[in-house]
Amino acid sequence: MIGYLLRRLAGLLPVLAAAVTLVWVLMIALPGDPARLIAGGQSADPGIVGAIRAEWGLDRPMPAQFAAYLGRLLCGDLGTSYLQERPVAAVIGDHLVPTLVLALAATLLASAGGVTLGCLAAARRGRLTDALVLGASLLGASAPVFWIGLLLIVLFASRLHWLPVAGYGLEGAIIPGIGARLPEWDHLVLPASTLALVSMGAIARVTRAALLDTAAAAFATTARARGASRLRVFLQHGLRNALVPVVTVLGLNLAGLLGGAVATEYVFAWPGLGKAMVRAIALRDLPVVEGCVLVLTLIYVLASLAVDLLYPVLDPRLAEPPPG
Amino acid sequence: MSRRPHRRAFLIAAACLAAAGVAGLAACSRPAPPAPKPEQVFRFRLREDPPNLDPAQVTDNLSDAVAVNVFRGLVAMDPETLAIVPAVADAWTISPDGLTYAFHLRPGVTFHNGRAVTAEDVAWSFRRVLDQATHSPRRWLLEPVAGAADFIAGKSAGVSGLVVEAPDRITLRLEKPFAPLLGMLTMVGASIVPREVYADPAKGYLRAPVGCGPFKFTRWEQAQLLELQAFDGYYGGRPAIDRVQVRIIENQATALEAYRAGDLDSLDEVPNDVTPDLAAEVHKYPFIGVGYIGFNLDLPPFKGNPALRKAINYAVDKEYLWGTLLPGSNIPARGIIPPGIPGYDADLPGYPHDEAKARALLAEAGYPAGRGLPPITLWVNTSEDNRQIALQIQADVKKVGITMKVKEVDWAAYLHAVEGSPTAPGEAQMFRFGWALDYPDADAVLRLQLHSQNIGPAGNFFRYHNPEFDRLIDGALTSTDPAARADAYRRAERIAVMDDAVWLFLNYFGSMTLFKPYVQGIVPTPLGEFRMPLERLRIEKPSKPAA
Repeated sequence: MIGYLLRRLAGLLPVLAAAVTLVWVLMIALPGDPARLIAGGQSADPGIVGAIRAEWGLDRPMPAQFAAYLGRLLCGDLGTSYLQERPVAAVIGDHLVPTLVLALAATLLASAGGVTLGCLAAARRGRLTDALVLGASLLGASAPVFWIGLLLIVLFASRLHWLPVAGYGLEGAIIPGIGARLPEWDHLVLPASTLALVSMGAIARVTRAALLDTAAAAFATTARARGASRLRVFLQHGLRNALVPVVTVLGLNLAGLLGGAVATEYVFAWPGLGKAMVRAIALRDLPVVEGCVLVLTLIYVLASLAVDLLYPVLDPRLAEPPPG
Repeated sequence: MSRRPHRRAFLIAAACLAAAGVAGLAACSRPAPPAPKPEQVFRFRLREDPPNLDPAQVTDNLSDAVAVNVFRGLVAMDPETLAIVPAVADAWTISPDGLTYAFHLRPGVTFHNGRAVTAEDVAWSFRRVLDQATHSPRRWLLEPVAGAADFIAGKSAGVSGLVVEAPDRITLRLEKPFAPLLGMLTMVGASIVPREVYADPAKGYLRAPVGCGPFKFTRWEQAQLLELQAFDGYYGGRPAIDRVQVRIIENQATALEAYRAGDLDSLDEVPNDVTPDLAAEVHKYPFIGVGYIGFNLDLPPFKGNPALRKAINYAVDKEYLWGTLLPGSNIPARGIIPPGIPGYDADLPGYPHDEAKARALLAEAGYPAGRGLPPITLWVNTSEDNRQIALQIQADVKKVGITMKVKEVDWAAYLHAVEGSPTAPGEAQMFRFGWALDYPDADAVLRLQLHSQNIGPAGNFFRYHNPEFDRLIDGALTSTDPAARADAYRRAERIAVMDDAVWLFLNYFGSMTLFKPYVQGIVPTPLGEFRMPLERLRIEKPSKPAA
């Protein structure tokens, strides 16, 4: 297991290198001059634009710029934001905790909601509850995040005034040792629910299918014959087996969660990394884009690894590491 | 049983009651302590964070919206009349030849850090803007000062035209008369800043500005909000508003819901189809700016073909565009200089919608009914309004036989396509643009956008070159006679509009802002909603702090 873990972590490096290189190439291919944007955009003095280009090394050949960037990266320096003139690490630091909190809350909500709905649907197979759950899961998976978010805002914030419209909240607790602030819980509810709805449907369907498969298994028939209720068979025998595909779906949905967070952050004015990256792309702030891609790739790979490591916990039969 | 103990108890009780009554009366007659005055917080929204808050770097509306409340310069602009009024300087004289501006500083002006503002601060702030190391895009504000060119080129250690006469007096000497100078000194780029903060090599001032304006900076949480606090030591008197919260909300629909829910006290970007419940809260007012579609005069088919450009002008129905398609506060434009600016020509005919004239001119241009004219590409940067405008123009010109394609790209790619270089044009044939005047002078648009010395990225993206136009603009710049200047600008405008049709003239700007009914002291300034003086606002009822 330790060897497997080390091999997976070692595989992280080429993934990060590929991501950094690909993003660099794509950003360079985009038309637009960051020096001009730094100089104020339209009607910028060409002399000032030239001086900025020289100051930031943007007048050097592309390979030289990329080599310099890689050199700094290997020393742990993510560079400096062109537009904000402060370390990229600080820029990311402003946005990382909000992204992680949102993704975690959405994951927990999606898991709890999806599993619960899946159990209900499986227990009431063929009945109205089953149909409602399947219909709602289809809606959650197909409705745009943007639309869901605005709908929730209009209903729960604007009309009912139960929750805030948008934002992160200014009175959240400070994380000791890190200095970053957590959101106020009422600000987290709507954006986390919006993001959770995207995956909840898929989890509900997978849970339902897994439970129904389990119900048909021989050990379930035996348990029922010995007097166990259907619900007990589901919860005590079926659910644990169902969690394996659920965890797989969560892992596969993680990329979508991180990507869908951009739209959620946009709708709810959530100060997350996705929005910061989109803005950096629009402003051609290459160091910030690279830094965000690095961090998001790292999160995704580590989360996928965590999912892989959960399998043996859920099902000891999977304790043997995969070949290679 | 003796009656004495009962009588004693009665007397004690009576005495206590009497004492209580006296105390109560005394309390009633004493005035109650005043209820604490509720804190006045004004909350508005920006789409994004400002890139930074260094006044020498501010060129965009986002930064302006915060900076105009934190900083002050020698002079300011009255937000209603647009007249130049005293600010840090309480008096000034201009020599008859227009070469010497002598300013006297108001006593008692302090920076937010408590230090008094002196003439040396003014000189240092101006040198900082001119300094190559600052890379200030607003360097041009102070280039008319004598010695600026040598200082910028590194040939001199100081600027000879910046003379500190005394701690409270400073003189600006110019190379030649420059009529718009005072207007330019009202801009944020000419703000006065404390050297001990802005000489910091760590550049902490980028995110923690210090000025001498009515509000001092207190807090900036990236992508969430900026906060300002009323400055007790402001020379104009402490503002009634105690705090200003600038919330960062990119999505317009979310911002509108936040306004409805009471989380914002005002809102820009009012939808064109605002619902009836909000109609009474919309404030409309003119905004000194002009919107247009630029023609690249160095590219076919517009190069050397004013008839074609005029045909397109006649083909587009601006009344429909601003009256029906995008109803709001924009006014169909006939020219370049907006109403209210000296030189505005109310008799300028412009190009009213006339398809017959458009067809005739198209034929004169060599493309009868559009035959032989390749498709023209109209570039716009990403925005819903721009998209609608472009599609409507495409439909209008189609009626006279012109085929137009619309290309929508983000801002960075758009600039790249439009600006070109001083020696080579950009690739965009036609492009949507607008220009908000930084100071109420026709020079702010005519010279910056159309003078041949600015061809390319400096502002003249259309690569317009007319020697007579240039001559009139150069003459107006150095004239000290307001009437002569206005006449020169009128004549220059006629050349650019009626002779050369440099643009597809679309609209004079207007502002529309939502304000809650309890916000008082609103000044409908033509400078734009982000330059509204917040120090004049009052909140009639306290608003809950934004979360």
